[in-house]
Amino acid sequence: MKKLFRTAAVAAVTALALAGCGGGGVSSPSNVTPTGEIKAREISWLLSRPADGAVINIMKKLAEDYAKDHPGFSLNLITTPDRPSYIQKLETLAAANKLPELFDTDATPFAQQLAKQGKMVDAEKLLKTLNVYDNYRPAALDYQRFDDRSLYMIPFQFELEFFWYNKALLQKAGVAAPKSLDDIPAMCTSLRKAGITPIAIDGQDQWPLERYVAYQPFREAGPDFIQKLKKGEAKFSDPAGQKSVEWLAALGKAKCFQDGFSSQGYSDAQNQFTSGKAAMYNIGTWELPSLATDKLNPAVRGDIDFITLPTTEGSATAANEFVSPSGIGMAVNAKTYDPLVSDFLKFALGKYPAEYAATGALSPTTDVKTAIPANATPLYKKAVEKAEDLGDQQAMPWDTQLDPTTNGRLQQELVLLVQGNITPEQFTNTMDSTVAQNAPKFFK
Amino acid sequence: MLPNRSRLSVLVFLLPPLLLYGAAVLFPILQSLFLSFFSWNGISDMEFVGLANYIRMFTADDVFWRSFFNALGYLTICLVLQLGGALVVASLLTSLRRGRELIKTLYLLPAVISTVAIAFLFVRIYSIDPVGLLNQLLDWIGLGSLERAWLSDVNTVLAAVSAPEGWRFTGLYMLIIYAALISVPKELEEAAVLDGASRWTLFTKIRFPHIRPVWITTTIMATTYGLRGFDIPYLMTNGGPGQSSELLTTYMYKTAFTSTDFGYASTNSVFIVIECLVAVGLILFMLKRKAES
Repeated sequence: MKKLFRTAAVAAVTALALAGCGGGGVSSPSNVTPTGEIKAREISWLLSRPADGAVINIMKKLAEDYAKDHPGFSLNLITTPDRPSYIQKLETLAAANKLPELFDTDATPFAQQLAKQGKMVDAEKLLKTLNVYDNYRPAALDYQRFDDRSLYMIPFQFELEFFWYNKALLQKAGVAAPKSLDDIPAMCTSLRKAGITPIAIDGQDQWPLERYVAYQPFREAGPDFIQKLKKGEAKFSDPAGQKSVEWLAALGKAKCFQDGFSSQGYSDAQNQFTSGKAAMYNIGTWELPSLATDKLNPAVRGDIDFITLPTTEGSATAANEFVSPSGIGMAVNAKTYDPLVSDFLKFALGKYPAEYAATGALSPTTDVKTAIPANATPLYKKAVEKAEDLGDQQAMPWDTQLDPTTNGRLQQELVLLVQGNITPEQFTNTMDSTVAQNAPKFFK
Repeated sequence: MLPNRSRLSVLVFLLPPLLLYGAAVLFPILQSLFLSFFSWNGISDMEFVGLANYIRMFTADDVFWRSFFNALGYLTICLVLQLGGALVVASLLTSLRRGRELIKTLYLLPAVISTVAIAFLFVRIYSIDPVGLLNQLLDWIGLGSLERAWLSDVNTVLAAVSAPEGWRFTGLYMLIIYAALISVPKELEEAAVLDGASRWTLFTKIRFPHIRPVWITTTIMATTYGLRGFDIPYLMTNGGPGQSSELLTTYMYKTAFTSTDFGYASTNSVFIVIECLVAVGLILFMLKRKAES
């Protein structure tokens, strides 16, 4: 038995050593202009975007155009739209040192470790070399930056997150759209009294509820709070953290979210709002085609409007500063970066914005104008115009900021807090000790 | 005793599956054991931490213990539904004269439906908004006060995610137990009936002792499957709300592939392997002792 164990241990070490050997030859991440001949081959992009979405369709078309001048080139798009599954795939491939030429990632602590290990090409240098850097919206690039302001991901989208609401339902309950975040619990109570579900939320995917924990601290203390919290330099027991915890408990107490929200998915939540059952819905401009065009249920079409993230009294951030993500970014693998990848990116990034804006979406660049679709309602234009009036700061989604273990625990505890299964004190203690235990490993 | 040539051919035929088993099962288990002494997130350098992962697991991880007790609850519900349910249905089937095949097929159907489909089906059955089948039934029979979001309630979610797994394989175990039950010699049963044995005595003194070997096998199968239960709870609730339906397996998976804490996840997996071995040992021990007594 002893011998068997020893053999297995040796085998395990050998396997790991061999895996390590396979990962050699990392080229410099700052060398963005590789020299040499462009040799056409297939390159892969591991991505987490809707399979029939605009980004994939446009990149497919651009790859086909590029292949006309470079026979033998093809772009293999491997998409896993479900984000948790995608992250697991990405992390497993990174662990095996098998990442493809291009891969999607948010500016997570894990991605930062990859960047520090020289596995990703410096995107700021790359975009500057391609002469497109200045075209990008600063907010779109900032969303992709790590804490040290370094940039390793290229955005392909730009979105604004709003609170969509149904005017008729609010009117029926005798309430107005909230002016302050602190008005929301009272609004929910009135709506519940009128037999209306106050807010529809996709609880199954967990990130939508995690948005709510970010709102009060962003208004109370600005974007720095999460930067400090994730490293253990700020706590949930601090005033900004407590304000958020108490507010979430109040949302739960006022039954703001639909019954059984934690097991309801993305389409359940959307259906609740678009069928006129729920009065409010917090979602981004990626849903404009279903919320601000004639595809929207005619019964509610005339009643829908939106507000941006409400402020609070003495708010540290302005009304035009809210969640404005540029989506998951694309990183370029430094190990496989060669003249072909460089040349293809030059070709694709130059043509992409115009094609993307033509689909009615907000481009991450400012050099093109979003085409409003023919079937759009007036809300579409109103939403798109908000992008021109953004402040300098933006609320970062916390799931892209926290270390993965803390993030997972936070998502679980938030549900319990909002459902009233734990008290604000229990939530605060659990989360502060979770951050203290896990943050040092990721942010040392 | 087999002649030499036959022994050699048996070995030749047994070797490939044994090698495959070693590579696919034993090697990963041993590799997990090795990794459990390290701190490693997949991209960092591996750091030897000795028993630190084990100490953390046993003394400082509340989620681990919660998952462990949830896994025991999940196992209990699965076993009651699968073995208890299977035994009842199989016994009833033996007394049926017509339609046995149809009932067997109907009970077996869930075992061939894809796990994902079952998970989605039960999410809808348990739903409160829109009202799912279970809540609708409760309403119809006048138990409207029991209506709830079964998967969002921390008190009901564990039972709610265990039931589909139990329901799914009841038919399969029923089939195995039914096959054993019909092999009970008729003359023995008839003799007992003539001696005035009740149905219960007939079952406990004649039928059950006869099917005991099959019962042991099915209990071991159901227990190991139950301890390894993962897919349905993961798909239905992802361990939530909070950690109310988190099992050791889902927790281990998340620790490895979400938290990228491969060292600690390996520690969890070593615990699961030992837990399965202990469970099987206990079952064999208890049933052996019962048989002897």
